Amino acid sequence: MIEFDRVSLTLGSFCLKDVSLNVGKGDYYFIIGPSGAGKTVLLEAIAGLHSPGSGRVLLRDEEITALPPEKRGVALVYQDYSLFPNMTVADNVSYGLRVRGMRKGEARTGVAGLLERFGIAHLADRYPGTLSGGEQQRVALARAVAVKPDILLLDEPLSALDPVTQERFIDDLRRLHREEGLTIVQVSHSRREAHLLATRVAVIIDGTLVDEEEAEVVLNTPRSREVASFVGIENILDGIVTANEDGHATVDAGGRTFEVVTEAAAGEAVTLCIRADDVVLVTGDERRSSARNTMAGRVVSVAENGPVAEVKVDCGVTLTAVLTRRSARDLALVPGIAVTLSVKATAIHVIG
Amino acid sequence: MPIAPPSREEHGLHTDMKTRVISGDLLRGGREASLTRWKKHRGRYVDWCIVGFCIMGAALVGITVLALASMATAELGNPAHLLEVALSSEVIHSILLTFAAGANAVLLLALFGTPLAYVLARAHPSRFKGVVESIVDIPLILPHTVAGLLVYLLFMRRGWLGAPLSGIGLAFEDAYPGTVVAMLFVASPFYVNTMREGFEKVPVHLENVARTLGAGTFTTFRTVTLPLSLRHMYNGAIFAWGRAIGEFAGVIMIAYYPFIISTLIYYSFTTDGIQTSRSIAFTVILVSLGVFYLLRRMTRCLGRHDDRV
Repeated sequence: MIEFDRVSLTLGSFCLKDVSLNVGKGDYYFIIGPSGAGKTVLLEAIAGLHSPGSGRVLLRDEEITALPPEKRGVALVYQDYSLFPNMTVADNVSYGLRVRGMRKGEARTGVAGLLERFGIAHLADRYPGTLSGGEQQRVALARAVAVKPDILLLDEPLSALDPVTQERFIDDLRRLHREEGLTIVQVSHSRREAHLLATRVAVIIDGTLVDEEEAEVVLNTPRSREVASFVGIENILDGIVTANEDGHATVDAGGRTFEVVTEAAAGEAVTLCIRADDVVLVTGDERRSSARNTMAGRVVSVAENGPVAEVKVDCGVTLTAVLTRRSARDLALVPGIAVTLSVKATAIHVIG
Repeated sequence: MPIAPPSREEHGLHTDMKTRVISGDLLRGGREASLTRWKKHRGRYVDWCIVGFCIMGAALVGITVLALASMATAELGNPAHLLEVALSSEVIHSILLTFAAGANAVLLLALFGTPLAYVLARAHPSRFKGVVESIVDIPLILPHTVAGLLVYLLFMRRGWLGAPLSGIGLAFEDAYPGTVVAMLFVASPFYVNTMREGFEKVPVHLENVARTLGAGTFTTFRTVTLPLSLRHMYNGAIFAWGRAIGEFAGVIMIAYYPFIISTLIYYSFTTDGIQTSRSIAFTVILVSLGVFYLLRRMTRCLGRHDDRV
């Protein structure tokens, strides 16, 4: 639907370098990256608010690099909502229709259904300054949807909301994406949101696009160490391949050997990514598991975090496992006790 | 071997004791100290710093108050003369002319100064922008006679702009347009700078959103940016108007006639003497205070949304 072809742009001290990406129709496209990586600028560039120094922007295969934002059919919702403080909620939502030449009364009836759907009909005559964060967010979203955009751009829409409101808003967004078939591009630094919503993910670090794939692929089998640590893979180990037989390789990482599945030849340096929920723990010294990598170790720490417990185990290298809090208590995991840890060879993602 | 974590009870006890120690000794002690200090001043705490500042400030305000008082006592002592001067057609005409010329200058400023202020507010910092900003500020730093001379040289009958404009029947020398253009020149920084501050306060995000919702640059300006800067526009206009109607040296060079109020006061000071000029001045003070009070009152119902931007 929208395509960036080697777009570079400089904005003060900040710059995007050679960014190429492709947002397909109906995608829920996530742009994730650490703070200050240039996500918002990228979003504004899609909206046409910054013109690139070089490169091309294409919309449905037509070049729109120089097309002003009002002609792109792209609606933008900022993190700070940016509601017009001089207009009521209804006037905010109907703004897009009015600037397209619709009469005020007509526009207001036009958005009545929308206000109803977003649960803000009772706020229609209030001014934004008197609304709560969650209400403002819904008004901002309704205002953007009102113009029936081809693409909806969301700039960290959840970060300013409290956790309960966040959950409700995530549901709203999911419904909007599924039921309307809307193409959504969302900027976020939260991996959790990406896990919950994204169909496709781009990772941007320091103004450079470092990875762009299906959400599953980026989040579970990232292409680089940088991305792996950013998407929150708990165990990242550097090692060297010692032997490889038909793709079944042995990797020496920090004094421990791991059996993995990879094409990397013996002698090559690789990075192993192991998700914490792929690490299985049993107490004691029994080796019953059918997994290829089984090793003994001692619990270093147990941190309970809501319904889950994060357990760090020292077995030559320190690995993190995630259990439900219930099972961590059943196993009586406390620092110092001996455990056996196992990881399936296929659960280890190898970055060559 | 499992290592037992500290039990809940033990843990709780420790923190309890800690809180007790802190609240018991430190906080209570501090409160007592401040209480004794309070009592020393018989229930009244004196902040000598603020008292000092007030005395210094009063000296400054005192000058204005004394000056007004000295004029008011003289004038109110002879109300008949004051009334006679205040109601003379010469004075009324001059006051109206001054206010009208000032308003005219402000209107022109609003028309040409608002776009300039917007461009300055949104332009990225650059040497060119700095130069333009300095040019805008020039009337602020020039002696008024210099400003008057500048206006005269440009708009006199043989001036660069005066010559072609007098060709189409627009004369500036000793004429109403001359008054307006001189006022415009000296008042322009007040309007442009205030307006620019107002535009700078409107978040660019609001404009960006309006753009993506389908509004062109001008529609965005008209429906979002300008309404949110109305209060600054109004304040800038009042500043500029106040500056314009008070101008003397800037105006007399290009337009000694028709008499604006400053010129009239100076003229009667040098010809009729102190009594008449004082009565005119007092009339002007009363009228100006009244008008500015009204204008300030009107701000209250204007641009309330500015605060929430």
